Amino acid sequence: MDQVVAVDGVAGLAKRLQVFTRVVTTKAAIAQTPKQLVWALNKAKLYRYTPVLPAEKRYRIPLLLIFAIMNRPSILDLRPGHSFVEFMVSQGYDVYLLDWGVPGLEDKEMKLDDYAIEYLPRAIRKVKAMAGVEEFSLLGWCIGALLTTIYAALRSDEGLRNLLLLTAPLDFSNREGLTFARWTDERYFDVEKVLAAFGNMPGEMIDYGAKALKPVENYIGNYCKLWDNLDDPRVVESWQAMNTWVTDNVPLAGGAYRQLIVELYRKNRLMKNELMVRGERVDLGKIRANLLTVIAEADHITPPCQSESIMAKVGSQDKELYRIPGGHIGIMAGSAAPRTTWPHIERWLSARSR
Amino acid sequence: MSESENNHAGTSDPFEPLRAIRDKYLDAMAKSMVETVNSESYAQATGAMLEGYLTSTAPLREAMDKSMTQALQQMSLPSRQEVAALAERFTHVEMRLDDMDAKLDRIVQALRSEGHGASPEAEQAAAGGAAAEQEKKRTGPASRPGARGRLVRNRGAARKRS
Repeated sequence: MDQVVAVDGVAGLAKRLQVFTRVVTTKAAIAQTPKQLVWALNKAKLYRYTPVLPAEKRYRIPLLLIFAIMNRPSILDLRPGHSFVEFMVSQGYDVYLLDWGVPGLEDKEMKLDDYAIEYLPRAIRKVKAMAGVEEFSLLGWCIGALLTTIYAALRSDEGLRNLLLLTAPLDFSNREGLTFARWTDERYFDVEKVLAAFGNMPGEMIDYGAKALKPVENYIGNYCKLWDNLDDPRVVESWQAMNTWVTDNVPLAGGAYRQLIVELYRKNRLMKNELMVRGERVDLGKIRANLLTVIAEADHITPPCQSESIMAKVGSQDKELYRIPGGHIGIMAGSAAPRTTWPHIERWLSARSR
Repeated sequence: MSESENNHAGTSDPFEPLRAIRDKYLDAMAKSMVETVNSESYAQATGAMLEGYLTSTAPLREAMDKSMTQALQQMSLPSRQEVAALAERFTHVEMRLDDMDAKLDRIVQALRSEGHGASPEAEQAAAGGAAAEQEKKRTGPASRPGARGRLVRNRGAARKRS
């Protein structure tokens, strides 16, 4: 009898290991919402998601999504049935996504300036031309929120009606609360030497930096979660989709990385209204668009202290700070997002998109 | 059976009884590690490691770059820097094209406002089609469906001409 139990146990373990290995080593099908490429410049591509509602039932103001420059934007359209893009399209929004692409050696001098006021305005022009309207909404997430903030401050007269900032790293004054600031302190970290060696900041190093903030959770706990839930197809599917996104690393253009470390993490220039972008001073007071700032209360990558203070600096009359339990990515891609973050964003935008 | 249904194990976990002990241990380790990575000494240590790595590999990288550039030169092939410079020039050309596209959009809009432009739907389709065509050109002939067919047809035309 004991022998039978032992054999069953070994067979079960072998099966679990087989499934575990398959899930960890294969890619899930992500970013499946139908879309059309409408504009491209260098590595950047602008997509328009195919509307599912007739024109008369759709909102007039188009929504442009901007994600970080060192990750794939597919997190916004993770998997069918659990996709922010799919949700917004089904609610009647004309949704566009700007994919920054993967910078090559030739892009190593690209700065935040280029992204915020060279590429972004061109993509916006295309969105406006396609939608046939002069106004638009911008949703920026993580570094994408930093870029949209810079754009909103410098180009406040170009039709930006609604600005949504998700986990936006804008204020770097609380150095005690920012682990990245400690790691990249000029006493320990020579940014010029790193960029001289690599040109662009390698995606693997950025990924290591993000994971090392919570090493046990990311390198062990994450896999334990999968092992414990191998019998639950919903958890397995969601885990694999997230793992597919997390392991697809993108390098960060050298010039933008240098600015991020030197001018923001070390000198906090944006919040002091001292950041210069192509000779123009970024004055946050010039932001006049309706503003929704979403903060993830348990965000260890962009702690709440980095996003709160912008509320007092902007010139917007209509502004809201929305706090939500969850982490940097979890608030938009976690299992609770379709019940919490997405409907809140949709309600806020709905009232301002007619 | 779908892929997602196939992905689950459907067996009991032999390590189940140990899960509580494991989780307790991992929780304690997680707290301690977060404190460690947040410390000044961790920042100093990782900085020193990175510095050491970059310093020790710099001569090797330089030698590799130099020999590779020489080898490519001897084979009359462009170096990485030359290809990068070319790519930069392409981007500038693309920007000029984008500027022209913007001007065209303005002209179309002006014509439309005067009542003799194309319908917005037709323009949208054209705009999307132009970008998709541009993308196809980037990805190269190998990935373009029909590219091979065109190549074969061109060869046929060349033969006829000869």
